[in-house]
Amino acid sequence: MSAPVRTAPYRSQLPPARDGFGQLLHAEWTKLRTVPRWGLVLLSAMVVTVLVSVLAVSGSSVGGGGPAAPVGPDGNAVKDTMQLVHERLPGDGSITARVSGLKGLKAPRPDGGRAGGPPAVNTGKTPGWTKAGIIIKANTKSGSSYAAVVLTHGHGVRMQWDYTHDLAGSATRPDEDRWLRLVRKGDVLTGYESADGKDWRRVGSVRPAGLTGTVEAGVFTAAAPNTKVERAFGGTSIAEGPGRATAHFDELAVNGGEGGRRQATIGRPAARDTVPAVDLASGSFELRGSGDVGPLQTDTDITRQTLSGAMIGLIPLSALGVLFITAEYRRGMIRTTLTASPRRGRLLAAKAIVLGGVTFVAGLIGAVLSFQLGEPIMRRNGHKPPRWPELSLTDGPVLRAVIGTAALLAVISVLALALGALLRHTAAAITLIVVMLVLPQILISGLPLGAAHALMRATPLAGFAIQDAIARYDHAAAVCLPEEGCYPQGPWAGFAVLCVYAAAALGLAIWRLRRRDV
Amino acid sequence: MRGTPPMQPSAAVRATAAMQALGTLRAVRAEWTKLRTVPGSWWLLVAVVALTVAAGGASAAAVTTEHCHPTPAACQEDTVKLSLTGVWVGQAAVAILGALAMSSEYGTGTIRAALTAVPWRGRLLTAKAVVVSALALTTGALGVLGSLLVGRLVLPGNGFTAEAGYPPLSLADGPTLRAAVGSMLYLGLIALLALGVAALVRDTAGAITVVLALLYVFPVLVSLVSSEKWRERLQEWGPASAGMAVQATRNLHSLPIGPWPGLGVLALYAAAALLAGGLTFRLRDA
Amino acid sequence: MEATIEVQGLRKQFGQTVAVDDLSFTVIPGQVTGFVGPNGAGKSTTMRVLLGLDSADAGRALIGGRAYSALRRPLTQVGALLDAAAVHPSRRGRDHLLWLAHTHGLPTRRVDELLETVGLGSAGRRRAGGYSLGMRQRLGIAAALLGDPPVLLFDEPVNGLDPEGIRWIRGFLRALAREGRAVLVSSHLMSELEDSADHLVVIGRGRLVADTPVAELLAAASGDRVALRTSDRTRAMAVLAREGATVAANGKESLSVTGLPAERITALLAAGGVPFSEVSAHRATLEEAYMELTRDAVEFQATDTQASEPRAAASQASESQASEFRAATGDGDMR
Repeated sequence: MSAPVRTAPYRSQLPPARDGFGQLLHAEWTKLRTVPRWGLVLLSAMVVTVLVSVLAVSGSSVGGGGPAAPVGPDGNAVKDTMQLVHERLPGDGSITARVSGLKGLKAPRPDGGRAGGPPAVNTGKTPGWTKAGIIIKANTKSGSSYAAVVLTHGHGVRMQWDYTHDLAGSATRPDEDRWLRLVRKGDVLTGYESADGKDWRRVGSVRPAGLTGTVEAGVFTAAAPNTKVERAFGGTSIAEGPGRATAHFDELAVNGGEGGRRQATIGRPAARDTVPAVDLASGSFELRGSGDVGPLQTDTDITRQTLSGAMIGLIPLSALGVLFITAEYRRGMIRTTLTASPRRGRLLAAKAIVLGGVTFVAGLIGAVLSFQLGEPIMRRNGHKPPRWPELSLTDGPVLRAVIGTAALLAVISVLALALGALLRHTAAAITLIVVMLVLPQILISGLPLGAAHALMRATPLAGFAIQDAIARYDHAAAVCLPEEGCYPQGPWAGFAVLCVYAAAALGLAIWRLRRRDV
Repeated sequence: MRGTPPMQPSAAVRATAAMQALGTLRAVRAEWTKLRTVPGSWWLLVAVVALTVAAGGASAAAVTTEHCHPTPAACQEDTVKLSLTGVWVGQAAVAILGALAMSSEYGTGTIRAALTAVPWRGRLLTAKAVVVSALALTTGALGVLGSLLVGRLVLPGNGFTAEAGYPPLSLADGPTLRAAVGSMLYLGLIALLALGVAALVRDTAGAITVVLALLYVFPVLVSLVSSEKWRERLQEWGPASAGMAVQATRNLHSLPIGPWPGLGVLALYAAAALLAGGLTFRLRDA
Repeated sequence: MEATIEVQGLRKQFGQTVAVDDLSFTVIPGQVTGFVGPNGAGKSTTMRVLLGLDSADAGRALIGGRAYSALRRPLTQVGALLDAAAVHPSRRGRDHLLWLAHTHGLPTRRVDELLETVGLGSAGRRRAGGYSLGMRQRLGIAAALLGDPPVLLFDEPVNGLDPEGIRWIRGFLRALAREGRAVLVSSHLMSELEDSADHLVVIGRGRLVADTPVAELLAAASGDRVALRTSDRTRAMAVLAREGATVAANGKESLSVTGLPAERITALLAAGGVPFSEVSAHRATLEEAYMELTRDAVEFQATDTQASEPRAAASQASESQASEFRAATGDGDMR
């Protein structure tokens, strides 16, 4: 045993080291890629996503059949069925009328009451988007361009044009009446409304694409469809049938019109109602109508359906997210990790970024493959334009859904990581995340619509709203059914809910990791 | 055996059988001690009951007769099944219990000690199966009874009254009793399924992921797949969706699979998992 | 950075259990400091606090004058081996070092270099799950050395090593210290530090028992006893007692003499014509010295089979010398 010898303190000969955030990311990436099983989990997540997506779309079929829907000015399928009283308007001019007594009537049988056809759907209520008003329309063909100012039963005065556009005017009570005016000057149409015919208020000015030359000006009544949803565990029955409405018009005046007022039926309504010619001429008559004018809301979101495998693909990715942190705790490796990077918040942030990045890439591959494989299958099964417009990966909404799916999976795996860090228990964390994300999907099919929508808004499941790729129009009456992949909020709002969950869980995990001994 | 008079063969066989039974009993006791001395187990047991009752109660509270047209009876709401919705959540905790009973031994390496104490592997697995299924049945019974009680209290307030055609939930009613007992058995089988999968996979994360996927993926697929034929098949083949058929008390004819055959499907899954797990356990080195 | 470890008034409590209580010591560079105490004495807790893994309830634990969390590029300042089992079993040994190296942007070259140094060259390509305990220890030591730090902490590095491995690590620790590093090595077995430690910090029940150079401790423990073997016990006792020595009989033919140097004893015996076959200055082992120090501090003696077996043998041998040893150490470095 030699006596201690004081030697000069040790100086390393190694090149200078760096321990920035970049190095930490690199280290976490090395950790992730050097456990072969984790690579397999990533691969299986991709495979599962694609397989389930393909399985989900392969049995799809187009129900109903029926007559082909008319095509609107933008090439998409629209609804254009109404009773119209019109006269020609070759140039500039205006149309004014007073609308009153708008209300729903007993619904007609679909298909005009053909024996053996489906029964009429009556709810005893007038749908909110039942409307009557003045319109300037390119011609009397279904699907032609138009601009209209209407009084609705539940949404006040609106200015609508070319099916997909809608502007709100003033709010009204259901039994109120309104004076409406539409002025054509060049290719600009301006809508006005008035409570008494003296004080006019401008609703909006629009420039529909197809309203040039001689157009038709008139008044119309249209009824939003009646829908009845019955939901009980294990199934939803939804009945939708044409509605029928009536409204009274008077003080009808067309400035610049050619006269010769006629009645026309646009589209194929379930019920036809005629107005006596003498009333037409007087400008004061009751006009009944059946059928609706507006965008045709498809119930099948092709893009969403082709991406549905993500709902299952999230299970292996959640497991990976949990394991990425709990594996550190299982063998005390977290101590080695924390001696190498003592700043614990930074460590979890680095883990989240690496995991999120890797799962994003895996999710993106899965989503792109799912879409590219699934979309042709949907087409083969009858989902064809114009009802289901052509889709391409580079379309805005499709791109949002596909990239959004990848982002969704990435955020879910980060949420899993955070839960793993909080619970420090592999089984509990994996179960929690799966129960949180998968169970609501099962339960929503059996809950009443209100409760189901509440679950879809408030749970992390809301994130799946980002997969929405069809336009949803507030002014097109449609029931938002969870089974049809409809989320009650916008894509970004839903995704934000999931992100809030993930951020909160990660913040909590960082706070706890900082405070606790390991 | 030296010094004792030779035994009759049948007596010897009987004695051996008795010894084996005793050995299994001891192994069961050892497993029970193992489980109850881990604080996490108690949390899980509490979770099974609490989650089942809470989720069941929430579902019962969320459904009213408001949307029923024209009368509440038209809804044909299966109030028993509705009150027992919580089993969907409680089963997750049961699955953890079953999986951990096996996989935690591999995770911590105590499997070697366990096998030294009970070298006959079939007996060890049997003991574990007895303990986890007994616990699942017991907590399941508490959860199911609690859920029915909550349903009985909550449902009339939501319009599900006897006058409207929804008699109060009672175990005296045959189908209700079947649903209650069936739900308990369901949870017991889930525990066995999870145990078998864990013996097969040997890893906590893997086992729990596989079990959860088995339980929850089929029902989700049902909602995703649009082909009616496949929907029905998936409901018949999925361990959870088939097993849950035992909860139905109304419109039995419209079920894809009957209550007891449904539970039988789950039992087949559990048996297959235990068999495969048991074989792996016996053939592979610990 | 001054390569030192400074612990001052450290206190750490887990619930009701006080793991470390008012502990103070300093580790200086250039020597191997043994950190000794029975299982549960608070060694690992102290190391964890030093590494910023656990927070101290009171006091300071500094490395080079700074708290661990305030260190920049910590792997280049401190290397630590805490738990050799802390490796993901499906990761290759080399990959384990690789991610650690990446946290500090160290080159891959350094990883391969260290694998060679600790003797894991080809085994580095294998999954860590298949490693023996000894190989894991070597991997852990390589991990501690990655950043080539001037301060090293090893918690029970000898555990699970075979005799060849133990010899290797002793030499390795000394070599590291000779380069000017501060090396703190914990162990619950004093014998493991016999040939490697220069300085000892002994703790028991979370409190400091001794902080002393090994040489001084040994000298104190050995005292000035001389072992004597003689066939004529009675006469030898008489001759020596007359000269003022304290003589104790250990066995039929052996005596233990205190108060006279060995040379004087041989001279006296020869002069008196007393036959003797052996006279040797008693040299205490570290184990004996340690046993004395920690006798009161041992907490889990009954359950501590690994530690108690060699210790049981040693304690029987030293039982008779206990009171003398206490007196000898009373004015020494000990507390």
